[in-house]
Amino acid sequence: MTDNIEIGQYVLIRLPSEGVRIFKLQENGRIGLGKFGSFDVSSILGFPLGTAFEIINDHKVKPIHSISELNIDEETDTNIQKQELTKFFSSSAENNQNIIDIGSKIQALTNEDIEELKTSGATSNIGQVIIEKMIAGHEGFDKKTIFSQQKYLKRKQQKFLRRFIVEYLGSSQLLESFLEKDHSKTFDLSIETLGLMMSYGNVKPGGRYLVVDETGGILTYALLERMGYEGTIVFVHENEHANLAALKYCNRSNEIDNIVKPINWLQFAEPENEREKWEDKTEEEVRKLKHPESYHRRRERVLKTNEVIDLIEEANFDGFFAISTLYLPEIFELIIPKIGGSRPIVIYNQFKENLMEIQSLLNKDNRVLAPMLIETRARPYQTIPGRMHPVMTMKSGGGYVFYGTRVFPSESIQAVGKGVKRRRVNNETASPEGTPELKKEKEEKIESTPEVIMES
Amino acid sequence: MFYHYKNVIDEGDLVLVFISRTTIKPIYVKKGEILNTRYGHYLHDKMIGLKFGTQMPGEKGYGFIHLLHPTPELWTLSLPHRTQIVYTPDSSYILQRLNAKCGSRIIEAGTGSGSFTHAFARTVGLKGKVFSFEFHEPRYLEAKKEFEEHNLKNTIITHRDVCNDGFNIDMEINGDIIFLDLPSPWEAIPHLNTVIANQAGICCFSPCIEQVDRTVKALEANGWVNIEMVEINVKRWEARKDMKRSVVDVINRIKSIQGKKLNNKISKEDSKNFKSSRKSLKVKEGDENFKWTEVTKLETELKSHTSYLTFANKICSLNIQ
Repeated sequence: MTDNIEIGQYVLIRLPSEGVRIFKLQENGRIGLGKFGSFDVSSILGFPLGTAFEIINDHKVKPIHSISELNIDEETDTNIQKQELTKFFSSSAENNQNIIDIGSKIQALTNEDIEELKTSGATSNIGQVIIEKMIAGHEGFDKKTIFSQQKYLKRKQQKFLRRFIVEYLGSSQLLESFLEKDHSKTFDLSIETLGLMMSYGNVKPGGRYLVVDETGGILTYALLERMGYEGTIVFVHENEHANLAALKYCNRSNEIDNIVKPINWLQFAEPENEREKWEDKTEEEVRKLKHPESYHRRRERVLKTNEVIDLIEEANFDGFFAISTLYLPEIFELIIPKIGGSRPIVIYNQFKENLMEIQSLLNKDNRVLAPMLIETRARPYQTIPGRMHPVMTMKSGGGYVFYGTRVFPSESIQAVGKGVKRRRVNNETASPEGTPELKKEKEEKIESTPEVIMES
Repeated sequence: MFYHYKNVIDEGDLVLVFISRTTIKPIYVKKGEILNTRYGHYLHDKMIGLKFGTQMPGEKGYGFIHLLHPTPELWTLSLPHRTQIVYTPDSSYILQRLNAKCGSRIIEAGTGSGSFTHAFARTVGLKGKVFSFEFHEPRYLEAKKEFEEHNLKNTIITHRDVCNDGFNIDMEINGDIIFLDLPSPWEAIPHLNTVIANQAGICCFSPCIEQVDRTVKALEANGWVNIEMVEINVKRWEARKDMKRSVVDVINRIKSIQGKKLNNKISKEDSKNFKSSRKSLKVKEGDENFKWTEVTKLETELKSHTSYLTFANKICSLNIQ
């Protein structure tokens, strides 16, 4: 990929404080990052997505190596940077034996001093200057261990450095920003769970999927990205219009209409009643109409609806994906006949119990093979050589995924298991295959399998 | 078949035969052949023309199998293990975090059992490319044959020790996603500079924390930034039912037993009142004559550690080291 930062695009901006925000890059625009300052859009254009920047004078920025390293000029090499670091850390303690907690008195620099510094000069160095002064004014700094000095520095960098990264707005980034704003909107869905859904769902370029997505389009966004904006998504929703607000961020809005086909639950459940009758008028007739444009609008809408109804009746979807608050066993009855043979069914829910209900339902329903209920969690580490450990706090949540494969059960099937001998005897005494008695035994067989787990 | 779904089984197709949750057997459908399993035997001739997903009865009238369409995730469960493999919870997170999608260009070393290679190939599609490297010759030959049989047209496998000899081949690689599953990734990292795209993301997959330590140092020394290591923890749950045992029943039962001692008899009416109160009673889970609570239970053995996943990014055009 050689994607560069371009005008008109939505991007994710990552701040040293680990916050993220989404911005649209407008021509002649200026982006404000609150206490971190502001910059002109024009000054970041043309750089590769993923570049880190530092705000310098006059709303201009310059690219930097990474947002967490010390402020250095382009000509400075890593050695000097290291010296810079050791300058701070020349005096440090072996342990925390001599640390006495006297609260904020330990810092000679007052808040007023810092505010004054901030306004004194908007140079690129100001964050750095503040940090240096804070260290100088920190009475106990040399009593800290080098580890805690580094941590202190990192905290101050997060607070004062005017740096940011401009990232490609992929589905992970979009979800990250949604999570930060309001995680209830996406029902606690995590990046790792979204990824798991994409893999179990066997999502590939050009696929044809049936989707229920109540997150405002996050799931659909991820699907579209993986599909390469080719193929079909039939999007089932419960309102007059589908809520696909998230798709505006994908920078490909003109292609979406050809791929994402919304349909409401009524149309989905009763396609034969909901199909609209339509006959094209002749050109002559159209010319005579008072409002030909409303005729064309209506024509387009009707044909669109009927096209989606065709897709529903054709069925044979390449997979089913759902993030929904609707009662799942009912959804299940409606969607199973629409899914193609050997295709995946992948359902997310923030509550394990809701998915458990369909799993126990499927112990008696042979149309979905090997139903599984999975929880995945990514645990981030402090990644510093010599001092690796899991981070102290992390986001909880992440939800659960149901995954199974749509299959076509055969009517006349009898399992091998306990009592085969007896059954053979029965068979010889002219008991036909698939009698109720034998079917019952098959159910028993299936019910006894959930304890064997895949991927063990 | 890994790029598009087929509906009906033809001769020559790869079919993943689902025998049980722990046994999935890959076969190529060929006229005249018979599949023998401990659950009966099955004629290939009869598979031809069936839909993928069909439950097929055994020849002798008992037993059944399911005929499944290959996917990288099912293949991962069925493939002949040549090495430790990358399972779906790890591979899916790597794909998602590194933003693998239609058109991505992947560098993978080593190929191993080729399981992740299939997932990469599927995800990047025919507009993308997968460059896989394997240093162990027999494994390389097996994987190469398998990729050809599976018609992974976008995948190029090379027999190479990338730690010593680097990644350069006779083609432009220009990889934007790198996956290193090697014993010493730090030896391979310096060789990446000539084969990666301007913007690249990497994941190094190592089971030991000492390996992560050395990998992080190598990444830093080679200009990679935003380095972060994570671990994926997975739990599989099963739906179960737990009996609601009533303390009132217990009291009635004790009462009845004591009454029995006194009167030396127990009425049939009484026993109905406390049938759920004996712990030893053998009742099938979910029996409709009893009351149940819906519960979930973890699988008995938990896969608690696969590997550490170390991620980083690099932008080559910004040479601000």
